[in-house]
Amino acid sequence: MEPLMRISDLKTRFHTQDGIVHAVNGISYDMHVGEVLGVVGESGCGKSVHALSILRLIPIPPGEIEAQEVWFAGRDLLKLNDSEIRQVRGREIAMVFQDPMSSLNPVYTVGFQISEALMLHKGMNKKQARERALELLNLVGIPEARKRLDNYPHQFSGGMRQRAMIAMALSCEPKLLIADEPTTALDVTIQAQIIELVIRLQEELGMAVMWITHDLGIVAEMAKNINVMYAGFIIERGSVHDIYHQTRHPYTLGLLGSLPSIDEAPGTKLISIPGLPPDLIGLPQGCPFFARCAFRAERCRLERPVLEEAGSPGHTVACWRWQEIDAEKLRKAVGGAL
Amino acid sequence: MSTQLPEVEVLTDFAVREHRSLWLDAWRRLKASRTAMLGLVIVAVFLLSAVGAHFFWNYDPKMDLDYNAKLRAPNLVSTPEKPTIHIFGTDKLGRDIFTRVVHGGWNSLRVGLVAVGISLIIGCLLGLFAGFFESFDMNFKEKLVLMSGLGLALGLLPAWIARQWFQVLLFGGLGAASVLLEKKLAHFKLTRLLFALAGMLLGGVSGLLVAPLVGLVCAVVGLMIGILLAKPVNGKAFSSITMRIMDIILSFPSYLLAIAIVAFLGPGLEKGMIAIGVVGIPIYARLARSAVLSVSQKEYVLASQSVGEGHGRILFKHVLPNILSPIIVQATMGLASAILSAAALGFLGLGAIPPEPEWGAMLGDSYKFLSSGAWWAVLFPGLAIVFSVLGFNLLGDGLRDALDPKMRAK
Repeated sequence: MEPLMRISDLKTRFHTQDGIVHAVNGISYDMHVGEVLGVVGESGCGKSVHALSILRLIPIPPGEIEAQEVWFAGRDLLKLNDSEIRQVRGREIAMVFQDPMSSLNPVYTVGFQISEALMLHKGMNKKQARERALELLNLVGIPEARKRLDNYPHQFSGGMRQRAMIAMALSCEPKLLIADEPTTALDVTIQAQIIELVIRLQEELGMAVMWITHDLGIVAEMAKNINVMYAGFIIERGSVHDIYHQTRHPYTLGLLGSLPSIDEAPGTKLISIPGLPPDLIGLPQGCPFFARCAFRAERCRLERPVLEEAGSPGHTVACWRWQEIDAEKLRKAVGGAL
Repeated sequence: MSTQLPEVEVLTDFAVREHRSLWLDAWRRLKASRTAMLGLVIVAVFLLSAVGAHFFWNYDPKMDLDYNAKLRAPNLVSTPEKPTIHIFGTDKLGRDIFTRVVHGGWNSLRVGLVAVGISLIIGCLLGLFAGFFESFDMNFKEKLVLMSGLGLALGLLPAWIARQWFQVLLFGGLGAASVLLEKKLAHFKLTRLLFALAGMLLGGVSGLLVAPLVGLVCAVVGLMIGILLAKPVNGKAFSSITMRIMDIILSFPSYLLAIAIVAFLGPGLEKGMIAIGVVGIPIYARLARSAVLSVSQKEYVLASQSVGEGHGRILFKHVLPNILSPIIVQATMGLASAILSAAALGFLGLGAIPPEPEWGAMLGDSYKFLSSGAWWAVLFPGLAIVFSVLGFNLLGDGLRDALDPKMRAK
């Protein structure tokens, strides 16, 4: 089946005074219609930048986006001109951002901001757009939506604002929704509600969802496939089952091991990954995870590993020693350091 | 004994409160501040009296002369020796000072409003664009407009030298060409030389039609313009060039610059407005730019981009409304200083042309008679200046508090 989106060798760099920051370093993957993809990784690993690069929302300069192709629904997004890419934004790919407090414009009512996209892309008049905005607010579960249409963002709570943002993103029935850490700024109960909402809407509307987060718990709940990113590379990719139960990359193992679990025997130590991610200005020649890896070997320092199939189909990992790695060994290897 | 039912308390969501807009909110806070209301009343009195006097009170300054009543002290009752009532007294030509203060208000406030209007509109637009294009790169159309505009503006110089106004269009075209050919000439090393030659030809050939010497001068000017227009400027460069020009204007003492501009344009109320307006531009440009820079980083700007909105919509619909409050405050305060500047120009004889009443000019006319005891001729126009400036300043202060988002919770 033709994928909805095919990214090949996407690279994003920023030219700064200190040098060139390599934020995304040649990532490739496919996304299918209706797929839910989780993108995980720690801060600064290029999760958000790669999503912004897809929509070309990176300021150029200082940014620079380069790719073999970013194929989406039949065309290369990087080859579109200004007005064509604007037609894609919002209408075909919509985005929800991290901070609900600042992603709504304080001077306009929520209803106006939702109808704006509708008037822009669907050519609706004010009244139609308002009616549709009302439906959307109902859809995302805002109580007394008719009253709430004329509220200003400061009259909404954080969770409600994020719902309004989702309503805005869904307004033009996009084929792909990119959610960039939409629950990070919310507390746990609201977080659960938002996740539930997005899962429900995804099933109802059949759109693809890319959920960017640093929380592995969230993606386990909702995603079909997971990309694990590190220093601008995808270092492991596979289905949720592959990533959680057949983990092959020491970094992913470390991430999973750092989560406390209810099932574990009391006294089991959490795994922590020592050190910091590498400086994106001067990336190491070999594996980007080399300096922090408990399994490092000479080859890892010299040669950068490429994604290769590991075990099951669709499960790929960028590590030279993936066959030798499992959780027990990692626990032993780092256990002494703890 | 009857059992009393407990009163049913209607619980409402605490977040739902009376629906009111930003401006209504600000107005409420403004009303609560006594000093701001005092300022508003003063401003309203001056504005109403000035507008009322202009439209409903005929006064011809050229015919207003009364040699029998020169420099008369204020008198409130009619006596046989002094049959006419002058509540503010009269000046050296026997003109009633009250009449002139009220009519002078029309001129002074008009200068203030128009001057602030000039600096507000030009300054804000420059600041908006400068701030916006610092974070967003210009697209093709914007570059085209900018470079042809720049070409037209620079073309004014050779056009003025040769008195051939069509040259403006030639250089405008050269600016547009630099954008249109940018991609094709990307790998061509001698773009600057090419454009220098083109500019030299454009200026030189059309100048030769007038006279050989004119042709030579225009060729030199055209060459320099060609060099400037060769590479289209990007957003960052546009921003820094604009702001450096603003810095240059700011580096002059404002009164001196205003006087210099009036000296260049010639005296007169309208010229005064332009001079004061031009001097005020950089203040608004800087204010707008810094506000735009901070608003551009907000997530809602990114969000509006991700919905597919274009630069124009983002700038005017999302950024501009969010930077309005500091600009409104500055404009109100700016009115006060524009009125002061107008009075200063008038005092020096560079503002209103004589018989026309204007507060500063009235002071300038009468201060010589202070030593002969005619305090009223100076006091009343002086008080008018003081109170109008005070009124606008109080109002501006109040507005600053009212529009401050940190106060919004109250």
